[in-house]
Formats: sequence, structure tokens, C-alpha cells
Amino acid sequence: SSGEDIVAWILLNSCSGFLSSEARSFGSMLVALGYIYPLQDHKRLVIKPDASLYRFQTPYFWPTQQWPVEDTDYAIYLAKRNIRKKGILELHEQEQYNRLHKWMNHKWDFIVMQAKEQYRAAKERKKPDRVVFDCQERAYWVVHRPPMIFTQQSIMRPRVKSSVSIGALVKYCATYNSHDPFLSKCLPSNPWLTDDVTYWTLNMPNVEIPTKMRVERWTFSFGELLSDPRGRDDFRLFLKKEFSGENLAFWEGCEDLKWGTAVTMREKAEQIYKTFLARGAPRWINIDGKTMEITVSGLRHPHRYVLDAAQTHIYMLMKKVSKHTRSDAQLEQNARNRRPSLSPIILRQQELEQRAKMAASAPVDITQLCRFTTPVSHLAVYSGFTDSPSANASPSLPFVAPTPVCPSPISVALDSNSASERRAEAGEGEAERNPEARAPAGGNVLKSRMALSLRRLLKRGCSPSTMFASLSPKGQAAAGTSRIQPLCPDQPSQAPPRRTGNFFQIKVDIPPECRIYPIESEDEEEENRASSRGGVGAKEIICPWESLTPQNGTG
Amino acid sequence: MGKEECKTMLDALNKVTACYRHLVIALGSTSDSQNLREELKRTRKKAQELAVANRTKLTSLLKDKTISKEDRAEYERLWVLFSSSMEILEVDMKRSLEIGQDFPLKVPTRHLIQTGMTGSTTTVAARAMSVQNMKYEADSNIDTADLRDLQSEICQVSTMMEEMEMKVQVAPWAVEAKQEAGAELKSSMSVGNSSVGVISICEEEPKEEDGGGGSGAGFASTCAVFVFVVIVAVAVVLGYLVINMS
Repeated sequence: SSGEDIVAWILLNSCSGFLSSEARSFGSMLVALGYIYPLQDHKRLVIKPDASLYRFQTPYFWPTQQWPVEDTDYAIYLAKRNIRKKGILELHEQEQYNRLHKWMNHKWDFIVMQAKEQYRAAKERKKPDRVVFDCQERAYWVVHRPPMIFTQQSIMRPRVKSSVSIGALVKYCATYNSHDPFLSKCLPSNPWLTDDVTYWTLNMPNVEIPTKMRVERWTFSFGELLSDPRGRDDFRLFLKKEFSGENLAFWEGCEDLKWGTAVTMREKAEQIYKTFLARGAPRWINIDGKTMEITVSGLRHPHRYVLDAAQTHIYMLMKKVSKHTRSDAQLEQNARNRRPSLSPIILRQQELEQRAKMAASAPVDITQLCRFTTPVSHLAVYSGFTDSPSANASPSLPFVAPTPVCPSPISVALDSNSASERRAEAGEGEAERNPEARAPAGGNVLKSRMALSLRRLLKRGCSPSTMFASLSPKGQAAAGTSRIQPLCPDQPSQAPPRRTGNFFQIKVDIPPECRIYPIESEDEEEENRASSRGGVGAKEIICPWESLTPQNGTG
Repeated sequence: MGKEECKTMLDALNKVTACYRHLVIALGSTSDSQNLREELKRTRKKAQELAVANRTKLTSLLKDKTISKEDRAEYERLWVLFSSSMEILEVDMKRSLEIGQDFPLKVPTRHLIQTGMTGSTTTVAARAMSVQNMKYEADSNIDTADLRDLQSEICQVSTMMEEMEMKVQVAPWAVEAKQEAGAELKSSMSVGNSSVGVISICEEEPKEEDGGGGSGAGFASTCAVFVFVVIVAVAVVLGYLVINMS
């Protein structure tokens, strides 16, 4: 029996380049798999780098050959243990025993018989060997039937009522039904069937005017909006107007980190920290103190998902602000403007160029915008189309706020086409348009109708207040924002030129004249801002792990 | 009567299967040796003989259409016992083949796993073979020669089991076990005695299989001590007499 310091042994025998921590984790893997088992503390399958004893497992119990681990064998083992312990089994063993007795009842006679015989066979050996044998078997079953310490908790896992889950499924199907090119017609035609690539052209990632169906899809959920590149572009512009562009940039940075290569991870994490999270960062995002703490401490050992908490926070933030949909003016543009398709390579290049441009110009962008700021009268006046050259519609076209929750698609799906058309026509008085379930029957007819209603709407002018009230993110401030302090409303017009856009955060349910500023002293921040904007700057942002590394020494 | 005979044979098969498993577990470890390989071979052969005998008997019993319903249920129960034993036997044979191939003995340096077992498995094998002492007479290349036999035997067993499945229509899940939970704590030996009454684990006074063995050993030692004391007493008495005499 070998009581070795396995770690030393591994280090000795392993190929070069094994650090002692690696040797330790390798050893723990061996234990966890069942090649070695601890003699003390047999339930914890790890290697402890002290003088605790371990023993090698006999080849019969190795996992190498991947022999199936049978419940019958486990039942026999438990019965044997029952004999040895004279009826006193541990709690998890007892539970398993009862469970197996219930499910393997037809074999139970056999199990009892075998257990007795195996027990007697083992007794034929000398005492020390018998002990070793018992240890071996016990170790095998610890690996393959680990004791559930908290069985009650595992049984009480949260379960969803089937009525709820089925309802969600039905809702999903109904919502996406009209968007599925298999289940319903896709306009203008399915390219696979008619060899007419118009559909693809119209739905390219960087198309000027997105189709109505596409826009409708964005209303289904925030995730849809973000995952569609065109939607994300629009949202980016929108946030820019709101001076909250850094949120989306941060989110995109997090996605990049998550899905990027492992080699680049560390530098990406550093970059993100320097740009978004550090004190005085050029595009500082506003997350609550606790999340910030967790994130920063996690960044000491950056890994793919280190920014998950912060990303989720920002995602929720953006989600609350995001609801908007396109007006029908866009769709008319769509019908008029058709661009020839570009090859995917060029598209990709364009995308990258654009990204680079935006990254390079990001801080500058905001400061420029600042000069034109006026107090935002309403939270989400979307004036994104000022940039779009083809937008003939008035830039201040109000955009419809859909109900935050989709009206039940089932009821919507039940509406006939005619009903929706009628509604479209009658909808000029309504501020709210129902974007869902506009079955595009006879596209041109519908478009003309919509043009008609659009004109009517323009005549009436916009009354955005009702619409945008629903856009205000609720309860934003409650998200532990320890750094936010609303200033009194009487300096909005002066404030913007002094303060730069980085401090404009997503607005909360406060009167539109108020701005939100972080608590830090204004002067200090201004200095920081000025210096960091000036390129590398006098004050360098230090990542927390960089300062800690020398202290930690070798890992 | 056929039923009793059947049960006895099943008991024997059961015993041999258990011993065989114990031996296979020792393969590849420090208690491995030439002897172990021979033990495995002989145990295996015996198991196969018993298996064939059992199968013949049981199939003939089950084929009999004239038996009563209770008898039929009983035979089906015995059949389930038999097929479960065979399953375990087949699995262990396959494993012994693999491990035997991985741990050859006739090499300059044997690489056996230091499991901490030091003793031999002779007693286990003796139990399997129902003999007092094992005699070893195999050649030195048993580990390789036996493996070939083993492969063919595995094939035989597999085909036999397939035949059994095809020919005998017994639904294993329909069989009701006679033993209750915790029945292993009773000292009832064989299949023949079905357990009477429901015994729950907690209340059970387990029959001392273990205690019996322990007290047996204790008895022997007290005997020895007693004899020793007697001898010492006799020696003292004799010495006293000698001294008195002189």
C-alpha cells in the first residue's frame, strides 16, 4: 500500500513544464476519475498536497475501458454494505437502496443472493486484504454514485408548470409563424423557389432600409433587435443620440470577448476595462457598485465569461430603453430603393471598416454631439433618420411605442388579414400601431394604404408624449446606482457644454430636464476627461490585475 | 423433485459467479499471479458447466405445459435468477479478458498495480471449486494460452444467452421477488427458503454472519490459551514434586 506524496511523484515523472499547481490538478483528476483513491476523507476526490495517504485502484475498477456502471452491481454493493454495517447505512445509501429496491424489484432475489455470496467470498481472504478490497469497492462507488449531500434540494429543483411552458411555446410559435419562410410565404418570393434573389437583397445586414417584416421582428424581443445587425445599427444610433452609446459598445465588447480566440482574451479584457470600467475611463458605463466590484475582482484572472454580470446588467438597461419600431415611411423607401447585392467579402470588409471607424472616433463623436445638445425633452425621441440620406420623411416622425409586452400572438394570429388592413387604415388617429400580425397580403395594396395613413398622421402632427411615456425605463435608479445623483434641474442648458457625453447615462423616471451625473467631483473628472481624451494621456489607467501581479508572485 | 434440484444448482452457480467476480477484481493487482490465472480458468470452467446444466434443467421445466400457475411463476423467478447470474458472468469474463491482455505475466518486468493487497486468492477459489485446497498444475504460459480459450468461451456464453432470450419467453420484469428489502440481513442461506414476513431494515436484528465468524476465531484462541495454561500448571506441579522429592 502506497502512501506517497503523489504530487511529487507526478512532478518527477511528468513531462517537463508541469508546474506544481498543474501537477496537483492532474493528480486531482486522477482521483476524481477513480485511478487513485484517498484513504482518509474518502468522499472528497481531490489530491491534498500533504501527507495524506492514497492508494491505487485495481484495474477492474478503472474507468479506462468504459465498462457500463450497472445499477444491479450498485444494488449488490449496497446489500453487501448493509450486511457489513448490520443495517445501518448512510443517508444517501439508504435512499439509493430504497430507490433501487423499488425499481429493480424483479431482480431483488438475485441481488440478495449475490450479495450474500460475494460477502462470504470476500471473507475467505485475510483480514488486511479484506479491508483493502472494501476500500477499493467503496472508492469505486464514490466515483460512480457520488453521495448527494443535499438530496432534498435537488429534489426541490424549480419546476415549471407544463401549462406555463406550453403556453410559452404556443406564444413563440404564433409570434414567429408569419416570419418563418417554411410556414408562410416570404416576400417577394422565396429565392430557393423562384431564383429571384430580391429577398436576400432586401435583407442584407447593412441594407439601408430594412423590410417591414424585419422591423416587426425587432419588436418581438430586445434580443432580436440586437442580433440583427441592421437593428443593432439603428439602436446604436439611437443610443448615440441619447449619449448612451457606450452601453452598446460595452455589450459588443463583451460579446467579442466571449466569442473571441483565447489568445486575445487577456488583451481584450484589458482594453474593455480601460475603455469602460476604470475610474475615469473615456466611455465609462454605469453599473451598480456590487457588479462593478465583482467584475473588477474577476478581471484579475480574466476569462471568457468574466464580464457576464456587467454585460447582463447593461443588457437589461438597454432593453428597457429599446422599444421602438419603424414607421411605414421606411417601407415605402424600401420599395423604392433596391441596391445590388455585394459579395460577402466586401460586406465583411465594410463591416470591419465601419467598426474600426467607430472605435477610433468614439470619444470624439460624443463631444461633437455635445455641442448640439439640447435638453432631451423626451426620453426616447428617435431621430435616427437624420443620418439616413434617403429619409425624406420628416426627421421628427414619431415612432410608435409598441406595448412593452406583445399582445397575445394567439389573439393576434386569429385576426384575419382583412381585419389588420382595416386597422391599418383606421389607425391614423392612434398613436399606437399594432406592428404584429400584419399579414402582408398583397403588399402593394397594403403599402398604399399605409402611405395614406402616414399622410394623415403627418397632418395631425406628432404627439409623442403619450407614446414615449411608456418608453421610460422603470425602476432604473433602483438598480443600486450608488454613483448617481440627480442634479437640480436648473442648469441643463449650461451643463452640456461643460460636461461631456460620457456622463449621460440612461435616464430614469425623472423629469426630462434633469441630467444624471456621477458623484465624483466635477473638476477631477474634467481633468481626467481632458487627459484621457488626449490620447495616451498623462494619467494612465491601471488595470487592477497589473498592479497586483507583482505582489502575488508566482502562481 | 425438479424444483429443489434446480434451486440447489442455482445456488451453486450463484456462488461460483460471486467467487469469479472476486477473482477478476484481483486481476492486474499485486495479488495477481500465475495461480490467480489458473484459479480464474478453473472457476470459469466450473461456472460454465453449471450454467449449461441449469439452462437445460430450467428450459425443460419451463417447456412443460402441464405445470400449474404457481409453479410456472416460481420457475420464471428461477429463470430470472439464472439469467442475471449469466449476465454477471459474461461481463466478468469479458473484463477478465481485457485486463488479462493488459497485464501479461510472462514478461521480464511485470507491471502490476500496487493495490495494497498482499495475500493470495486461494481460499476464494477453493470456495468456488468446493475443495479444501487448490492444487496448481498449470504451465507457465497460462496467461497467454488461457486468453485464447477465454475468447472462445466468451463467444459460447454470448450465443447461449442469445438462444435463451429467443427460446424462453419469460418477461423478467413480471417476476415478483420473494425477498424483501433488507432480507440479506437474515441468515437464510439459499434460494430454497423464501423469506417469511416483512422485515424492515431498521428494526432488524441481523443474524450474525459476521459475529459467528468472529466468535469462531475467538473460541479457537481461548482454547489455545486454556491449553497453554493447563500445560504450565502441570509443569509447575511436576517441578514442585521434583523439588520436594530431592
